[in-house]
Amino acid sequence: MSYSSILEWITFHNPMDNPFYPFGDLYNLPYDWAYKIWEFLGGLVAWLINLLFPGNVVSTWLISDQVVNVFALLLFMLIIFLVVFVGTLLSLWEERKVLGRMMDRRGTQVGLKGFLQCVADGLKTFMKENVVPKKVDKMTYMWTVSLVIGTSVLIACMIPLSDRWFVVSYDTGLLIIMALFALAPFFILVSGWAQNNKYSLIGGMRAAELMISYEIPMLILIGTVILMAGSFNISDIVHAQYDTVWYFIPQVIGMITFFWCSIAESERVPFDLAEAEAELVEGWQTEYAGMKWGLIMLADYFRGYVACAMGVILYFGGWMLPGIGDLNNAMPEIVFLLKTWLMFFMMIWVRATLARVRTDQILNIGWKIFTPLAVINLLIVVLLKFGGVF
Amino acid sequence: MAMKYLDKYPKDTAKGLWVVKPMWTVMKLFAKVIPRRSMTIMYPYEKEWIPDNYRGRPGLQFDKCVGCGLCARMCPTACICLVETTDDEGKKVKRPQVNLGRCMMCGYCAEYCPVDAMTVTPEIELAEYTREDLIYGPRRLRFEGVNEMMEVHIEEHLISNVQKGILDQPTSAFEVDRPVLEEAKCIGCQKCFKVCPVGAIEMYEAGVNEKGKPKKIPRIDTDKCICCKNCVDDCPKSCLHIKEVL
Amino acid sequence: MMPEPEIKLDSMNTDRMTVIMGPQHPFSHGLWTLKVEVDGEIVTDAEPIIGYLHRGWEKECENRTYPKIIPMADRLCYSASMTWSHIYCMTVEKALDVDIPDKAKYLRIVADEICRIQSHLMWLAAVGTDLGNLTVFLWAMREREFFLDLNVRLCGARMTTNYPRIGGVRNDTTEYFDRDCMRCVERFEKRLWDIIALVDDSSVFVSRMQGISRLTREQVANLGVTGPAMRGCGVDFDIRRDDPYDGYDEMDFEVPVLKEGDTYARYMVRIEEMFQSCEIIRQAMKKIQDMPRSAPYRLKVPSAVPEGTHFARLEDPRGESLMYLISDGTDKPYRLKVRSPIFVNVSAAKPMVQGCRIADVPAVMAMVDMCLGETDR
Repeated sequence: MSYSSILEWITFHNPMDNPFYPFGDLYNLPYDWAYKIWEFLGGLVAWLINLLFPGNVVSTWLISDQVVNVFALLLFMLIIFLVVFVGTLLSLWEERKVLGRMMDRRGTQVGLKGFLQCVADGLKTFMKENVVPKKVDKMTYMWTVSLVIGTSVLIACMIPLSDRWFVVSYDTGLLIIMALFALAPFFILVSGWAQNNKYSLIGGMRAAELMISYEIPMLILIGTVILMAGSFNISDIVHAQYDTVWYFIPQVIGMITFFWCSIAESERVPFDLAEAEAELVEGWQTEYAGMKWGLIMLADYFRGYVACAMGVILYFGGWMLPGIGDLNNAMPEIVFLLKTWLMFFMMIWVRATLARVRTDQILNIGWKIFTPLAVINLLIVVLLKFGGVF
Repeated sequence: MAMKYLDKYPKDTAKGLWVVKPMWTVMKLFAKVIPRRSMTIMYPYEKEWIPDNYRGRPGLQFDKCVGCGLCARMCPTACICLVETTDDEGKKVKRPQVNLGRCMMCGYCAEYCPVDAMTVTPEIELAEYTREDLIYGPRRLRFEGVNEMMEVHIEEHLISNVQKGILDQPTSAFEVDRPVLEEAKCIGCQKCFKVCPVGAIEMYEAGVNEKGKPKKIPRIDTDKCICCKNCVDDCPKSCLHIKEVL
Repeated sequence: MMPEPEIKLDSMNTDRMTVIMGPQHPFSHGLWTLKVEVDGEIVTDAEPIIGYLHRGWEKECENRTYPKIIPMADRLCYSASMTWSHIYCMTVEKALDVDIPDKAKYLRIVADEICRIQSHLMWLAAVGTDLGNLTVFLWAMREREFFLDLNVRLCGARMTTNYPRIGGVRNDTTEYFDRDCMRCVERFEKRLWDIIALVDDSSVFVSRMQGISRLTREQVANLGVTGPAMRGCGVDFDIRRDDPYDGYDEMDFEVPVLKEGDTYARYMVRIEEMFQSCEIIRQAMKKIQDMPRSAPYRLKVPSAVPEGTHFARLEDPRGESLMYLISDGTDKPYRLKVRSPIFVNVSAAKPMVQGCRIADVPAVMAMVDMCLGETDR
């Protein structure tokens, strides 16, 4: 067989022409990139193998539709995760610097205006010894923390950044994210039992206590938004806001309530009862050391990112900006991330201002303030709906 | 006089979620900090100004020191000891050596130095790699640029003077307190003569002792004396003691 | 009809749990343990365990000459060093029957009140972290820095001042100290309102402190609690006013007293005390400025103390501190006993935290303002 040019092997197709394209008739930008990257890499490898063993089957297999699709999906996952990861690290860096300024200090200083502190922290926790205390229930001890981290990463990746940047886009996307988001307190509760430590136990109990007090208003609020938009699909909600107004205008009560609930959901000050360091050393994280703790910390920030992103999607028009027309198609992902960081700034602001609330107080706040406010918000929306405004 | 704070507080803020004012306060500071930068300084690169009277490590002016050992005696942590060393002319002299590992920077050595040879210095960065490196010998204790603030002076007033209404004669124990001798107890061993760092003691013959041999007893030159109490401490028969002027 | 089964609580395993907080625990500022017995989240019993920091201070003093004890007295408490060396000097002066010059008295008042403000700011910082907010901590520490700088200007050290001497003070004010002092106090009075806005106007902070750990006047009297904790419970007593020492009788200031007796009252008393201290500094500096520069500030005292027993007491930032001296006519004390305010205050831990929740324990104990140096000695 004769020499074949590399250009015969590396060909760039439209991924949507692939019969195994996983996203139906929706265009997906990261998948497109991943597809192109694999067509280049796979084509290169296929060409090299073909040079050595002309006419083999592996080369043709490597650039067949199915295989390209599988590898493109793997690369797609990597791209999605890396973007979310860097976005989360940036919000971590934002917290360090902004919190520092609010406290009249400078925040971290390690490299790139302090951004490399995340890397330094990661390396440090990575190099620590993996300590497992003697009398813990090993299986639950390891599994719960893995699940907390796993679900956090999962939902962080599932948040769509735009119409063309998503993992799944089906009609109950919002519901799936909320369900997984609310799962972590169960694991925290089990983990508190597993650790054989009184501080952890109390911390786990508090996580459960916390959950029953904010989960209900939060779900009512999300239901309200869904009612207003008429769809569970995140993309539809965003477009509905683009067509009318951002929902924080009709639902200002709901927006404020959702903001506080989402702080509680991501277990940040003032609702970080489960890891209240003043009385419960580190709460449910007390017995986790080294990389486990580092990942828990990272998961915390993933959850903070998710909470902010949900707020942006539900009340601040997602990745769309009103009044700029087609420019919205230019860089919706950047718009979305910027809005998320702005929301995160509010969370940092709250953290700098407030103290931790007590367990009985959060129950009071949850049931006597947040839930009525959520119901009032729902009533307003129902009235608006019936009035035909939306 | 009125209460400044209790007149305005407590306000009835506990009801409801009233958190707007603190958030506003934090935002005000945040807005201020962005242009003026934070209050913290980047320590190894930027340093705060340290006033001259700062009590850092002790310093020593070698030539002024007479080797009386009062610093060693006054040191609360016993980190100063006198060591034999040679001065510029090659003579053997005694000078203080400070173990900074034990020093608590109280400044007593500077304060109680009768000739103001010991000083406090504003030097505070003293970390070393070994404990031995922390022992500062007499030459190493030198500090450039000693000024009057660092030589801590004692300006005491005599109680009798204050009662008489004389308020402009500050003095100190080194100027007024002098050792006195009980001649009957003295055996003429000359120890005080040997230990006196300023040569304020001279021995003169004064009669004979029980065995009929001539006996020398000390005479103290009150102008030269600095009241270092070396003679008092070393007297084997306790026949010298300090007469305190009050 | 079957009779309804009786619910037996005893058969349900609802044991009380002992949570040991300390000695290495974020809430215990220093090495001490609070053994807390909890029923769910409610604290039913508490027992403070101290002694981890015992250094034999009182015994150490017995083989040191009188002046050498002053820098040691500084080390009793890191943030109230000035008051501790002050009380020691006052005790020895009482034994020597010496009346110190007026200028020394005012200088001591200024140094005392600077110490009180910086100690209270340290406490405020600790309250911030105990309630879960770091901003209060850093803001209070920032203000405290200015007072530590004043300490440096006055006596050359930030915290271990070593300033009073038996018969006066170490040195006269340095150049520009009076100007710096006035400016610093004026600035502080403005900036403190920022922290107050952060804490008192925030319903989260206030609701964390209000209504917990109530003590009555009788309880306070029986437990021997002193200082701001006592004044927050309605006992109107301040040694500076009721048993004045060293020129405090010439100062015009108010003693804040609140009747509520809860944690918030103790907090408020301390905040008001800071304002009053500013006022006292201003008055004392005014008196110093009116004096001639050459006025005596230190008396020459004999090195040996005549035989006898003496004590003096003063108002520490944390309560009433007292030193009891037995001298035997030599230049070293025969016995020096310290009455530490925290040692007594912390023994009231049980009535203080009983009935609170676990989350309240740091908030309640922050109001004691623990300092282990003086407690364990």
